[in-house]
Amino acid sequence: MDEFMDGLWDDVGSMDSMIDGLVDDVIDSVIEGMVDDLYNYDPGYRRTVMVVDDEETSRAMLGNILDQEYDVIYAQDGRDALYQIGLHKERLSLILLDLMMPDLDGFGVLNALRANEDFRRIPVIVLTAEKEAEVRSLQQGAVDFLAKPFDLPEIILARVRRSIELAEDTNIIKATENDSLTGLYTREFFFEYGHRFDYRHPAMQTDAIVLNFNRFHMINELYGRNFGDQILFRIADGIRDVLMEKEGLACRYDADTYYLYIEHCEDYQALMDRINAGMSDLLQVPEVRLRMGVFSDNFRSDTFEGRFDKALQACNSLRRKRISSFAVYTNDMHEHELFWAKLLEDFELAIEDKQFKVLYQPKYDITGEKPVISSAEALISWVHPEFGRVSPGEFIPLFEENGLIQRLDHYVWSEAAAQVRQWKDAYGVTVPVSVNVSRVDVYDPHIVEFFTEVVEKNELDPQEYRLEVTESAYTDNSQQIIEVVERLRAKGFKVEMDDFGSGYSSLNMLTLMPLDALKLDMIFVRNLTADSKEMRMVKLVIEIADFLGVPVIAEGVENEEQYHLLKDAGCQIVQGYYFSRPILPDELGRLAAKEQGIEIKTDEINIEDLELKDIEALFI
Amino acid sequence: MLSLDQLKEFGADTTEGLARCMNNEAFYLKMIGMGLRDERFEAMKGVIESKDYDTAFEMAHALKGVLGNLALAPIYGPMSEMTELLRAKVADADYMSYYNTVKEQRDKLLAMIDA
Repeated sequence: MDEFMDGLWDDVGSMDSMIDGLVDDVIDSVIEGMVDDLYNYDPGYRRTVMVVDDEETSRAMLGNILDQEYDVIYAQDGRDALYQIGLHKERLSLILLDLMMPDLDGFGVLNALRANEDFRRIPVIVLTAEKEAEVRSLQQGAVDFLAKPFDLPEIILARVRRSIELAEDTNIIKATENDSLTGLYTREFFFEYGHRFDYRHPAMQTDAIVLNFNRFHMINELYGRNFGDQILFRIADGIRDVLMEKEGLACRYDADTYYLYIEHCEDYQALMDRINAGMSDLLQVPEVRLRMGVFSDNFRSDTFEGRFDKALQACNSLRRKRISSFAVYTNDMHEHELFWAKLLEDFELAIEDKQFKVLYQPKYDITGEKPVISSAEALISWVHPEFGRVSPGEFIPLFEENGLIQRLDHYVWSEAAAQVRQWKDAYGVTVPVSVNVSRVDVYDPHIVEFFTEVVEKNELDPQEYRLEVTESAYTDNSQQIIEVVERLRAKGFKVEMDDFGSGYSSLNMLTLMPLDALKLDMIFVRNLTADSKEMRMVKLVIEIADFLGVPVIAEGVENEEQYHLLKDAGCQIVQGYYFSRPILPDELGRLAAKEQGIEIKTDEINIEDLELKDIEALFI
Repeated sequence: MLSLDQLKEFGADTTEGLARCMNNEAFYLKMIGMGLRDERFEAMKGVIESKDYDTAFEMAHALKGVLGNLALAPIYGPMSEMTELLRAKVADADYMSYYNTVKEQRDKLLAMIDA
């Protein structure tokens, strides 16, 4: 019995593989069929053409000629033709149409074909003996005409063949010229048609515009790909709306970038608002991060592609903008683009030569009578051999965009941990340091191991090493970040939510998020006055922090008034120029030692750091 | 039974007619039989007599097309001239005379076929 069953299973097994083989064959033949349809490579493939003529002899004679190469379907008048076209529309490659027919004549058939979306692609050659009718039929959509009495069969066949070829090429173009998601042109066709547009409008003043949705992947991650696709479609819709009024054309250049070429316009803000309007019911205003770069060239001094390169540079100049905004190309943008390219090129060498310097800005505990240093934030600066100090605001977004930020982060993380150890050894003080964790770091599967190793290597307590994660990274991918942060906290690390108030955490999300401090976004502190909206916001954040049982850290504190307002509101920790700018490691060491009454010997000052004095001055 | 030689003698351009039929002689001859037996050759007489020139034009135009394709010059010629006169709606043309010529030539050829 068992043997019998085994045999049965073998049979089933071999049947499975047979079915698999069959399925493969079918798929192969379908694909082959599609390729043949498109390219006419297979001489064995016969297309179908229709002969519409009320004269039996004409039908028979044409059929006799066409039968050499085609399958032929016949219709004896206009109505019969439309009925049969409806039945065979998928396989009809061409229609040969007599014009003079009783009831519904050839012109009537042409009109009906043109009005129907499904029939429009089928090319029609009219049969006529009249010159005037030739012109009229071409105007009504016929692709060619054949004379009566009939030309020689070779001529008829050649013209039929040519018309089918042209129509198929046109249909392939139609199928590939539009982006399937948005319906806008694909980029290849955009450039082709853009050149033609210029040729047809030699005197028109035009704008080359590049639109890009900044960090679009966040939309996909937050709301799912379907929603992301809807947004991409809405942007295209907004662009179409613009094109209803302004002459021009547009394409989806790649994932979340659109190129738009239109008649010059004066009000780019209005243009941008119009495109953004399409998303208003799907996204909150701050989530709409569409940026727009414009190059306006009234004299066509640049090539079509060159103008879009410049528009792209203008768009790239908005890299740091958090909200939807536009920029018009200026000459210095080109300089800037070159500057960025140089920074990217110099990155490796800068790491090797230790051109990146880590400075420390102390955070003060203000709960006591006198502010005391509680910790410090590690901040990076680049002292470039050619450009001098390069602002982190300049290179961090650039490195984020180009995938270099992780290496830089690792460098800072290692330096900062070593520094906490150095302070302990040289000054006998413990100053916990916080380092910034970039969005992409969260995806690094080894991030927890990296921090653990770096802390162990320097014999630090994880409590002395803190991580700042920006709020928007939390909201971008809450699942992933919650998991990573929980693992880090389980190892003893403290995690601070940076730039709090700039993202869009809901109160509900906050209760789910693992964190040890809320770091108030600088923007609230900058405009802080006694009765301001910002003041109310600060109080609210402090209440939220109290509810969560974590302290609030305020950064960007620049004057006494801000300090007192924050202190009175119950803020525990502050950071800012009013207390200290970012300073050299040894300066911080001495400052902390002095605060704690530890005596320092002068020979403990790091000579290398003295050379950095001028760098520090640049921070001011 | 009609032959190609007879057709040539009749005045048909058999080279042209045959070429349109992919040089298939039997098919060509069959088409001629089919074309000549068109009922409109008979019906036209009454239409002309009743001076219904629009209908006469439609018939003449259609038959002209068939005769042209079959390269039957002796019938195609007068039919073609009659078609143009009818198209121009020339009232005092002698349509019956054209018709008679057409009918005579057509019957002659039909007789050869039926012989």
